[in-house]
Amino acid sequence: MTADDLTIVLVAGLTATACGLLGPFLVLRRLALLADAVSHAVLPGIVAVWLIAETRAPVPVVAGAAAFAVLCVLGIDAVRATGLVASDAAIALVFPALFSLGVLGITRYASDIHLDLDSTIYGEIAFTPFDVVTIAGVDLARAGVVLAVVVLLNLVLVTALWKELRATTFDPHFGRVTGLRPRLLSRLLLVAVAITAVSAFEAVGAILVVTMLIVPAATAFLVTRSLAAMVAVAVAVGWVGAVAGHVLALTFDSSIAGAMGLVCTGCFVVALVASPRGPVARLLRGRRRVPEFFGGDVENPGPAPSPR
Amino acid sequence: MVGRRRWTALVLLAVACLLGSGCAARTVTADRAPVAERQVRVTTTTTMITDAVHRIGGDRVQVTGLMGPGVDPHLFKASARDVRLLRDADLILYGGLGLEGKMGDLLADLAARQPTAAVTDGIPRTALLTHTGSPEPDPHVWFDVALWEDQARTIADRLAALDPRHADVYRVNLDSYLAELTALDAEVRERIAAIPPAQRLLVTSHDAFAYFGRRYGIEVAAIQGISTAAEATTADVERVAELLATRRVPAAFIETSVPRQTVDALLAATAERGFRASIGGELYTDSAGEPGTPEGTYTGMVRRNAELIASALGAPGREG
Repeated sequence: MTADDLTIVLVAGLTATACGLLGPFLVLRRLALLADAVSHAVLPGIVAVWLIAETRAPVPVVAGAAAFAVLCVLGIDAVRATGLVASDAAIALVFPALFSLGVLGITRYASDIHLDLDSTIYGEIAFTPFDVVTIAGVDLARAGVVLAVVVLLNLVLVTALWKELRATTFDPHFGRVTGLRPRLLSRLLLVAVAITAVSAFEAVGAILVVTMLIVPAATAFLVTRSLAAMVAVAVAVGWVGAVAGHVLALTFDSSIAGAMGLVCTGCFVVALVASPRGPVARLLRGRRRVPEFFGGDVENPGPAPSPR
Repeated sequence: MVGRRRWTALVLLAVACLLGSGCAARTVTADRAPVAERQVRVTTTTTMITDAVHRIGGDRVQVTGLMGPGVDPHLFKASARDVRLLRDADLILYGGLGLEGKMGDLLADLAARQPTAAVTDGIPRTALLTHTGSPEPDPHVWFDVALWEDQARTIADRLAALDPRHADVYRVNLDSYLAELTALDAEVRERIAAIPPAQRLLVTSHDAFAYFGRRYGIEVAAIQGISTAAEATTADVERVAELLATRRVPAAFIETSVPRQTVDALLAATAERGFRASIGGELYTDSAGEPGTPEGTYTGMVRRNAELIASALGAPGREG
């Protein structure tokens, strides 16, 4: 392991931490495809920045992308809130509209320049050691600094609103009755996901972020019984993906983000097979009943377990 | 209390990561002998640059290209090995002018910390083409062989600056390469001039041949612009089909790095106008061919393109 490898693993680990703090809420609220949606919905933001300022510099591009990412998640939230459209359909309705807007914008105004997601917003984790900023005389990987800030923001959000987020995740109606504001909390969470996704896209690329938001959380869902444990395991699985994925990428000289994603997916498969509620455990115990989880079954999670 | 302790641990973890990434960002490289006593390690982006460094550096350099044949420089995906190739390079050479997308910006910044140069730096800015609607120059400069000579000189200068003890080696290699390029330039000019004037129209799917057209006197029409992201509109296809049919240009060309559907649509639209054009062949655009084949070199790739264009557009066969 060289210093560069260490930087890459740490940047990936910070991505895993930022994503692992939010991912469990997305999985439990059935918004797993949100990051994927955001990764496409940012295109009109990039076109708009080009039209206004004729630039592809990272800061304005991230700002433009973030604006449309927030628009995308709030749009999804609004469609969902009508009660007429389910979460998955709301996601599938909003992001293609925004992506189409971006494609139209490129065809109409920017067909003579290379303006696409890959050359503007999507970063590459392999290059993070080469992009440094000097803070107080110390050279820091820029992606690491950005992601550390995102980790801290997410940490503040999740710790400060832990009880409220937990209650409204498991039972929005219960939350409303007890004076919480589920819509507001939902929007806050979605905006945090949008900001996290866009900053992380720019730092490490889209596929790693989409993976780290969902796969570790889905893995943790299978092996934990409380939300706190689920968040902790999600972050841990993300770090396993970061470390083992990088070793895998070095061994086979492959894409780093791809290898990390594959390791996370491997963790998920292991959890699926070896989970206390998985097929192996069921065979060993000789019973088919799915044990109680999160106070209810997987299709329809009930209220949260009482705090320990 | 347990919950609080867990969060505190996470905060500490995050802070540790931040500090760790700081330390890690400092370059730690293995001891290296002075370059004069070993081969110069050069890392390049496109296959054309890789080939030119081979020619100019000869045995003095150990060249590794990040991008293989057939890779669109804009859509290049890095692998784990590429990190070391960049870090351990004595010299990094890239195309510049936006050719490498986001990676090009990174390399431009890296020049402050590590010997890194865009080979297009040596081209006079006035020689660059800018398309209407774009504030940035067209990066496909390598199809003008005279401009490639400028780039070869930049490569030789950078190698000589890094390894002055062998400057004369680079000079000699450069001179023989330049002689070859001058001959190639004349050859391409002659082949294109052999096309009947009315048919001197190069139709491709995306706009990569503007420099070629300017240098060798052939009009260039592309179905779509520079961007490979936006899809061609029906109006674009109709416009170019009209041009093909009225000028009675016998062929349109596909490119190694762009899907051929747009050209197929174009030929269908041309046929509707009662004129049958064919596909003239596959042109090398953003990368040379497989190493070891004649097209694996820059000169071979340009020669092959010129020959395809000339013969498909009705130039008489080469004498001899």
